[in-house]
Amino acid sequence: MSIYVPRMSTPLTKCVQVALIGCGTVSQLYYTPALQELERQRIIEVRQLFEPDPQNLATVCRAFPNANSIANLADVNTHLAIVASPPRFHAEQSIQLLQAGINVLCEKPIATSTDEAEAMIAAADSSNQRLAVGLFRRFLPATQMIRGLLQTQTLGEVQSFSIYEGGVFSWPVQSAAFFKKQVAGGGVLLDIGVHALDLLVWWWGEPVALEYEDDAMGGVEANCHLKLSFAQGFTGDVRLSRDGLRSTRYHIHGKRGWLNWSTDEVENLEIGLTTGKVLKGLLHEASLQKDMPVAGRPAFNFQQSFVSQLCNVVATINGNDSLTVPGTEGLRSLRVIEQCYGQRRLMAMPWLSEVEQQRAYALGDHR
Amino acid sequence: MIPKIAILGANGFIGSRTAEMLHLSQLVEIRPIVRNFASLARLARFDLEDDLDCRVADGFDESKLSEAMIGCDALIYAIAGDRQTILQTLKPVYRAAEEIGLRRIVYLSSASVHGQAPPPDTNDESPLSDRQSFHYNNSKVRAEWKLQALRDKGTVEVVILRPGIVTGPRSQWVRNFADALLNGQAYLINQGRGICNSIYIDNLVHAIFLAATVPQIDRQAFLVGDTETVTWADVYRPIADALGDDLAQVPEAIVPQFKPGLGQRFDAIRSSGMVQGLLGYFPVKWRRLASAAIVRLREGEAGSPWRMPNAIAPMANKEMTELYQCRYKMPHQKATRLLGYEPPISFEEGCRRTIGWMGFAGYPVEDGLK
Repeated sequence: MSIYVPRMSTPLTKCVQVALIGCGTVSQLYYTPALQELERQRIIEVRQLFEPDPQNLATVCRAFPNANSIANLADVNTHLAIVASPPRFHAEQSIQLLQAGINVLCEKPIATSTDEAEAMIAAADSSNQRLAVGLFRRFLPATQMIRGLLQTQTLGEVQSFSIYEGGVFSWPVQSAAFFKKQVAGGGVLLDIGVHALDLLVWWWGEPVALEYEDDAMGGVEANCHLKLSFAQGFTGDVRLSRDGLRSTRYHIHGKRGWLNWSTDEVENLEIGLTTGKVLKGLLHEASLQKDMPVAGRPAFNFQQSFVSQLCNVVATINGNDSLTVPGTEGLRSLRVIEQCYGQRRLMAMPWLSEVEQQRAYALGDHR
Repeated sequence: MIPKIAILGANGFIGSRTAEMLHLSQLVEIRPIVRNFASLARLARFDLEDDLDCRVADGFDESKLSEAMIGCDALIYAIAGDRQTILQTLKPVYRAAEEIGLRRIVYLSSASVHGQAPPPDTNDESPLSDRQSFHYNNSKVRAEWKLQALRDKGTVEVVILRPGIVTGPRSQWVRNFADALLNGQAYLINQGRGICNSIYIDNLVHAIFLAATVPQIDRQAFLVGDTETVTWADVYRPIADALGDDLAQVPEAIVPQFKPGLGQRFDAIRSSGMVQGLLGYFPVKWRRLASAAIVRLREGEAGSPWRMPNAIAPMANKEMTELYQCRYKMPHQKATRLLGYEPPISFEEGCRRTIGWMGFAGYPVEDGLK
């Protein structure tokens, strides 16, 4: 099935030239098909590829036969660079590109520390270039709908929420480095967590208080648990897992009703009122028949939402839109993550014997 | 000298707890081996740089396997998978072990080699058949025979463990029943009075450790289980209690006549331990779609749009029917005699730890039970 181009609020005017920095898994699985679709629509043109690994480079080169491989970031001369390299390179590469006058879309997480992220934002400001962050869940119709429901208090005042997200880890990583603390900087919190926390800060702002625990014992966490309190007066739980064996679910409970959403079925939403039945179904775009509001075409699916993220950056470069997720927004979830790691405690693992628990504490760097 | 033990399939349910327990208790030095880098996710809770020496090797790749095993004294063979994986990885693993001079392979077979409801007096020495109703049982029987044949011609010792229903944190038996309760799809047969040949995961790891280290047990196969004789209701009641459910309210399933119909054969395959284990690796969305398709198919079979929902009582599949109707507690005297196996964790303590894990995993466990 071909992906159709998202309808933009204002027309796209210029074909934007793109450099793809980093041709690893995320580029191969996500950016490549999205960029191919936008090339097909003549909205962008992929001109340059930067990737030290020859095998990865060859894979992405096949998708963009007109693009040149470059060995040095200083050679980038496109309108936009997509930084999809490992997170530890995000700040250094983005700053270099921004200072060279290139707009940057940086894959999540924006950086591995808030200091780095702030330096990136400062570089964007001083160079007058755009810095967008690849937190593309904000482009999912369901997350936008949830935001609307919360803003209009359709479910009443929020009482609580619970989020469980995870699954058996199956991302096709290409080396053990992905799991090494010194290289990765973190585990599931920095990986899936940055998405989940971004949605929460987008919906409700940054939490006013938090508690954090995880199961790292000298390495990177596979499971973590956060308790977050928000200024609106409610508290909720977030559980993230790389070996999770339960279904992913975002649950928000309001005074008048509740909603469930799952990242496994991003186009679906369940909404229930405190009395009555539950509405479960696919989201559609709003439309009109004469003056009558009706459901229009199906809302974007996962892949189309990813494409629309790129469209937003392109439209911004063309002066037709503003960034949905600028660097300052990417910084917010990272700030929460840093607070979490700063106060990490070891999760209770009641299946461990006393001897094992003592060893687990000795191996970890928890408070 | 502390022996070094390689664990093949160290990311699975049994393999990962074996790695965790042996590593944290510092009983032995371990070397977890997994199929691909993604499978390191759970092991990476430990420092992969300085603390835990993990390797990546596919079970079909003899040279990678021997490279991964170098310096190890014994290997725990905990690979799970389909029939091909069960049978086709034996030779490369054995050859790799032989190449590096490994002393012993501990193979994780299953008590189901004796069937889901074995006849009374079944013991470790009872003859095995590879003409049972379930492919998984037959594959495990053939795997045992194949390993013994490799041992006849080779130098690496082989010790076989046959655990029954492995319970505990992350166990499919725990997860499946808890999920079924939460989804309103749980059922019992004969009120769960059948005997469950359970073994708490840590008791199995204890048996694994003994099987890897005790001398003079080459070519032996051992049934291993918990001390207590328990029923399925005993296993499930703490889970139901933890979730605030009453096991007595769980409906009885209809037990059909098991002719070898397509539907039942499909159910038998779908509900087998191996398939249920493998299903965990598929995206939830796919599983839901498949489930919905099956329900639609069945509703289609039922026919009438006038049929009210929930009029169809849960239908038991053949494997669960046999398991639920088991009347015999498998013995583990041979393991006690030759391995010195005494299960260190009581059934009650195992249940307590399991409920604790459910809280960890985010199940809505009632306060005070976590």
